[in-house]
Amino acid sequence: MATIANARRLVGVDANAARLGLTPGLTLADARARRPQLVAVDADPEAEAKLLERLADFCARFTPLVALDPPDGLMLDVSGVAHLFGGEEGLVAEVEARVARLGFALALGLADAPRSAWALARFSDKRVAPAGLCGKGFAKLFHDLPVAALGLDEAICAGLARAGLKRVGDLALRPRAPIAARFGAETIARLDALAGLTREAISPRFSPPDFCVERRFVEPILAREAALAALTKLADDLALLLARREKGARRLELSLFRVDGAVRRVRVGAGRPLGEGKAMARLFVERLAGGEEEEIDAGFGVDLMRLSCLLAEPLAPKQSEWEQAEEAQRAAGLAELLDRLSARLGPRRVTRQALVGAHIPECAVAAAPATAAPEGLRFVRHDEWDEEGDDAFAAAPRRPLRLFERPEPIEAIAEIPDGPPLRFRWRRVLREAAAIEGPERLAQPWWRRADAPTRDYFRAEDAAGRRFWLYREGLYGRETAKAKWFAHGAFG
Amino acid sequence: MSPGDSVGMARLRRAVAEIEGRREAGPAGVARPLSLTRALDKALGGGLSADGLHEIVPASALDGWAATGFALALAARFLSRRAGAALLMAEDFALIEMGAFYGPGLADFGLDLARLVFVRAPDAAALFQAMEDALKSGAPAAVVGEAWRLDAYDLALSRRLVLAARAGGVAALLLASSAPGAAEKLSSAAETRFEIAAAPSARLSSAGGGRALPGPPAFAARLVKARLTAGRGPPALDPARIFRLTWRSEELSFDEPTLSLPLAAAAGDRPRSARAFR
Repeated sequence: MATIANARRLVGVDANAARLGLTPGLTLADARARRPQLVAVDADPEAEAKLLERLADFCARFTPLVALDPPDGLMLDVSGVAHLFGGEEGLVAEVEARVARLGFALALGLADAPRSAWALARFSDKRVAPAGLCGKGFAKLFHDLPVAALGLDEAICAGLARAGLKRVGDLALRPRAPIAARFGAETIARLDALAGLTREAISPRFSPPDFCVERRFVEPILAREAALAALTKLADDLALLLARREKGARRLELSLFRVDGAVRRVRVGAGRPLGEGKAMARLFVERLAGGEEEEIDAGFGVDLMRLSCLLAEPLAPKQSEWEQAEEAQRAAGLAELLDRLSARLGPRRVTRQALVGAHIPECAVAAAPATAAPEGLRFVRHDEWDEEGDDAFAAAPRRPLRLFERPEPIEAIAEIPDGPPLRFRWRRVLREAAAIEGPERLAQPWWRRADAPTRDYFRAEDAAGRRFWLYREGLYGRETAKAKWFAHGAFG
Repeated sequence: MSPGDSVGMARLRRAVAEIEGRREAGPAGVARPLSLTRALDKALGGGLSADGLHEIVPASALDGWAATGFALALAARFLSRRAGAALLMAEDFALIEMGAFYGPGLADFGLDLARLVFVRAPDAAALFQAMEDALKSGAPAAVVGEAWRLDAYDLALSRRLVLAARAGGVAALLLASSAPGAAEKLSSAAETRFEIAAAPSARLSSAGGGRALPGPPAFAARLVKARLTAGRGPPALDPARIFRLTWRSEELSFDEPTLSLPLAAAAGDRPRSARAFR
């Protein structure tokens, strides 16, 4: 029970209460009057949410894609999973049996689209909608459901009821335009989602790992040795998967699904990508041996183990003794080659590039003869951009692959004088800036050139995907009245 | 140790591998072809050979930089699986016209600056000579050459580069920036030829709801030529087919085209990103 609109009301009832005719939404006083022996407890939404999360963890045994559907639902994306349980019917039976064993009653539905599965679970006694449902089949399954199965706002539902539209079929068979006009486009969108015409995605609690292997046990395992043996096998399987993509594991997670529904996760990380199953297993063994609380607590037994690789990186090639000797030989060969080329072309033509701590792009790099000792050259970037470490943006390079010797003047049109360019003409061709990022403002070092104008750099991509690095020289209104535009480089 | 020694060594190694009948899994992965994406590997008959000459031609005059990006991506892939340095060679005029290779940008692209050596050649003859020497020595992990004047580049010269690449076991990537759209017209002994065009990147939606932000580098590649080589399956060449590639600089690999929709857009307007971006 909870307090809703100043009245104590029931929010959930158990099977017995339901049999006695009590329903959620009833005020406590009414319920007491009808059934004086009623046992009522305060609702605890927080605890319920936590319980739901634990159930979600439990359901990760069926598929890695589990999403919460608060307050009382779970969404499982079971694409490509059903065959492991002997078809969809088998999966449904398995889920039901497992959850029932934990002491929960559940209503479930399985369909092509999340919305239709939701409707089936909550409003229908059918459970599985056949794949590729349309036309008559759809009508048979869904047209008799109440409009509430669309999951619309209460206000809209009430409006629909006032108009006499009580079932999904009433809506689906009527012309769409008037319905959209009267009850909002949302209604039609939900109808389409129910029919699986629009794509809806669920947002899983954990993004599925790139690589994962699992093992199910007919008989729950209890012994630590057995668990470790299984872990070794899992690690070998994972190593095989990774080897196929020439990758190694940097971060691993072992999930132990216990018979009683609890899920235990153990994470380990490695400093360099691991390619061997033995090495991965050893990490876990050490971690599990570390402290008592990290000990595998098998409880009533573990019936599913899953090893996932959360972060995989390209594996450095393996080396044998022979290869090491060869590598030394190759390094010597390279030094000799560079000497020869420098001698022929001149040392200024055979160079390495080192980074210099300067913001102005043309000063950020220094070329040094390749034959000179590489000490004293900095090769790693240490500026604030990299320390930001923002994944979403690290994906796109911030500096161009090629920098023009002299910035080339361009004509650019911007909406406002200090805004990003809309269009620009470079090498006589007018381009649309379809995507743009900026400005990145770089000021000239004041201790050297106090009067030099500030630059605003933009990364612009035209409609065909060509990427350029443009800048505007001079701050509008402060340094100049008419800013000049330049193209300074091009991205790959 | 003289260069003759290392060439002899490579030859011996190959002979042993051939006797044992395992060219695919040869020692040090010298002969093992480089895998790009599943679709491209299939079209190439198993991957890009690690000891051949590959030409990269821009589709139009404006795609020269995309072609550069593709060549450097291949170089980064070669660097990632083999020790040593990659050589970036270019004719002076190409550097003036296309822009010089820019260290910070290369680092952003996923290349390790400590493992790159830049060579500027005064003319095409010097460039091809330097490429041949570098390939023959077997020392670099990959050799990228950008030629501007391609008059001298013919069957005989390309054949010499092919032989040098094979002798040294080093991949040669020839970037023909000055011949946009000429992928079909070039005649050479090269093993493969790509025609590269820029492709719109997977854009990220911007926080303010304005124009989108450019995403990771994307290319549209066309495989114009792929030669049958020993020890690999036959290439399934379809010159009209366009392979769409996205370069992941942190993983040093091309994205496999996914069937699902990209989910990255939602991350575009996180507060943290907005701060980094300001």
